[in-house]
Amino acid sequence: MIIQENQNFVPIDKSVPNRQRGKGRPRNSEAATASLVAVLNHVRLSEATTRQELERVSEYGRAIIADRLAILSELGLLNERETGVATGGRAPRLVQFTKDHALLVVVTLDQSAIGVGLADLDGKLLMEHHEAINIADQTLTADRICALINWLMTRQPKTPNLWGISISVPGPVLTDPNIPFLLETPNFLPNWDNSGLVETLMQRFKAPVWMHSNVETMTMGELHGGAGIGQQTMLFVKVGQRIGAGLVSNGQPYHGAAGAVGLIGQLPVTSGNATGSLDAMAGASMIKAQGIKAAQSGESAYLAEWLERGADITAIEVCQAAQMGDPVSTEIVVQSGRLIGGVVAILANMLNPQLIVFAGSIAQTNDILLASVREAVYGASHPLVTRDLRILRSQMGNSAALLGAACIAVSALFDPVFLKDWILLGSPTQHPDFVYGLETLNSITQQSDDGPQAPPSS
Amino acid sequence: MTIVGLGPHGERASPPERVTLLPQDKTAARAKKLRVAIVMHTLESDWAKHVVQGIIGTLGECGAIVIDVVDCNFSSEAQIDALGRLQGENPDAIISLPVNNTTVTKAHLAISGAGIKLVLIDNVPTGMLPGKDYVSLVSADNFGLGKIAAELLSARLPLGASAGMLAYDADFFATNEREIAFSRWMEVNRPDVAVKTARFSTIDGAGHEAVQLINDHSEIAGLFVVWDSPCIDVVRAVSKRNPDMPITTVDLGQEVTESLAKGGPVIGIAGQRPFQQGEAVARTTITTLLDRPCPDWVALPGLIVSRSNVIESYQAIWRKPAPRDILIRLDLLQSK
Repeated sequence: MIIQENQNFVPIDKSVPNRQRGKGRPRNSEAATASLVAVLNHVRLSEATTRQELERVSEYGRAIIADRLAILSELGLLNERETGVATGGRAPRLVQFTKDHALLVVVTLDQSAIGVGLADLDGKLLMEHHEAINIADQTLTADRICALINWLMTRQPKTPNLWGISISVPGPVLTDPNIPFLLETPNFLPNWDNSGLVETLMQRFKAPVWMHSNVETMTMGELHGGAGIGQQTMLFVKVGQRIGAGLVSNGQPYHGAAGAVGLIGQLPVTSGNATGSLDAMAGASMIKAQGIKAAQSGESAYLAEWLERGADITAIEVCQAAQMGDPVSTEIVVQSGRLIGGVVAILANMLNPQLIVFAGSIAQTNDILLASVREAVYGASHPLVTRDLRILRSQMGNSAALLGAACIAVSALFDPVFLKDWILLGSPTQHPDFVYGLETLNSITQQSDDGPQAPPSS
Repeated sequence: MTIVGLGPHGERASPPERVTLLPQDKTAARAKKLRVAIVMHTLESDWAKHVVQGIIGTLGECGAIVIDVVDCNFSSEAQIDALGRLQGENPDAIISLPVNNTTVTKAHLAISGAGIKLVLIDNVPTGMLPGKDYVSLVSADNFGLGKIAAELLSARLPLGASAGMLAYDADFFATNEREIAFSRWMEVNRPDVAVKTARFSTIDGAGHEAVQLINDHSEIAGLFVVWDSPCIDVVRAVSKRNPDMPITTVDLGQEVTESLAKGGPVIGIAGQRPFQQGEAVARTTITTLLDRPCPDWVALPGLIVSRSNVIESYQAIWRKPAPRDILIRLDLLQSK
């Protein structure tokens, strides 16, 4: 009801051409958003590249296709600038999606790093930057994200048309799958629910915001730009402070009932006399703690030297020491790999993936963890499961999260249900729900800025 | 010094010691009679000359023949042509410094697609992945270099002043990192200082941009130029009107070293170690050609160079004694 009321007050964007054709019968375009959406998505997904192909794929007549293409060209979403190969007559005009009509900002937060990037409307990464930061400080992290987004904007030849911000975060994000974009920051990490990150980005950059877990975005990124290209069944495992998994089934990421897929770090595992969660027994915190212990006791000469030079010992240093041949560090990493491999073997026997990809700072700093995982998985799996199974290390680093976040944003933007509500307005930032959400947010901020009136002076 | 930056894909740095060659590795490499080509963005700068020296010397020790060293003069077209021509020569490896992030991507992908090992210096075209599209990136810790330059300049900036930054108008990993790090250091450590940025697209345009920036912001009390070659142009252009304007930069080139030694306008330099970087590039190339895994990103820490340590830094970087006039300027040599 509130939204309906608000729709009456959606400001008219003067830059969007007025498509009312006088009184009486509305032009086809107003009555046919469904066909506009269909035509745009056929072209965008490369299902049709000429008018003839569009007629065939969409089953619309020539006149309708011509009308829809005219509208979509006018909106800047499609173009027919290039010609294709002639097959007996005049070379056909190629119908192409104008992927650089607008840009997407992509952000990834990890426990100890952030990354920001720009992507086009095909979800292709155009620029990216990563830097170390402790995300425990919410204000500093949010300010840093905004500063880096501003920097990316200044690097564009002209002020970019920003259509969305997609964020990847280190924890499961529980949101209503039916809402097209976020209007408030969901729970994703302890103490971050009151951070107002989503609201800040929405207000500052005036674009819709989406948020998904790192495991989900990285699985998506690996599927579209890494080892997962063309794979139907893939298991993705991220090893860092937390250990999580993502699943691709029939070429599509699996979301689960509540979007909380692959929280394998919670599973109990046993090593020697100790039992604990996989996160605690095999994650980066364990590797770091064991490494510090080995350095302080002098058991590892390599790590002890690091400590003596005043360097911090984190899981990364332990993994690098293992790669350099330090036997104590190697044993720490091998032990972690065995425990992770034991859990992954159960998943492999259940799901029978074609490919298992390991990512995250621990997996990417060394090959020893992967070797140990392989040993555990092959040793504990049915021969049919491992016959063609490949276990690889991701080559994408944190770019997987950025690429995946971009792919998720593109899917959300051009989802037919969402698209039909903004396509004639020319931009998702004109979507009535977004305009209303932003206005509401601005008015709440205004009220809180005004604050209580100061008491009159006596 | 530790590495403070992250790699182009967020990777953690591996130290250059991760790629070492044992005598038996060099023997094995010699037996392979390897052929390697080098494609640089420029061969004009002192930094580039030292990198190439480091590469060629180490490859020579391993019996690898350098079949060509190409100067692309910062031109995408020249680099695309060079890579296409060298692909036809079918070398075992190509070592390349990509001139930007977009226009040369296809040409680099074609190299790895043809089965030629590709080792990158300082920059990775967007979308290319380590281990798949290239072997490794070998670079300085450019984020660390930007922070060093900021810290050196900060000492000369009065409270509430502005700092001018002359950044490179190309999407290039190394210079992007320096630029971002400079601004971040100021933001965290000198919140009173505003950073004003201008961009140059050619080296000889940097001086003009600097003058324009100072004209627009008269409160600017110091400059940072993202590397030494454009810094020379900035020094020439700015010093006429603002002889006391302190400037920091990256790379210990000959001219900026002289300026630092005589007390300004260059007052500090974040030094790279190009010769050692070149050696690390060559060791990485030989390691991959011996079918051994290489780290995704090998990074070398920077050096803080001020007037007080310019001579030893010069020797460490240039691997020769400092010029006589620099020694005389610093009162380390009396006879003229």
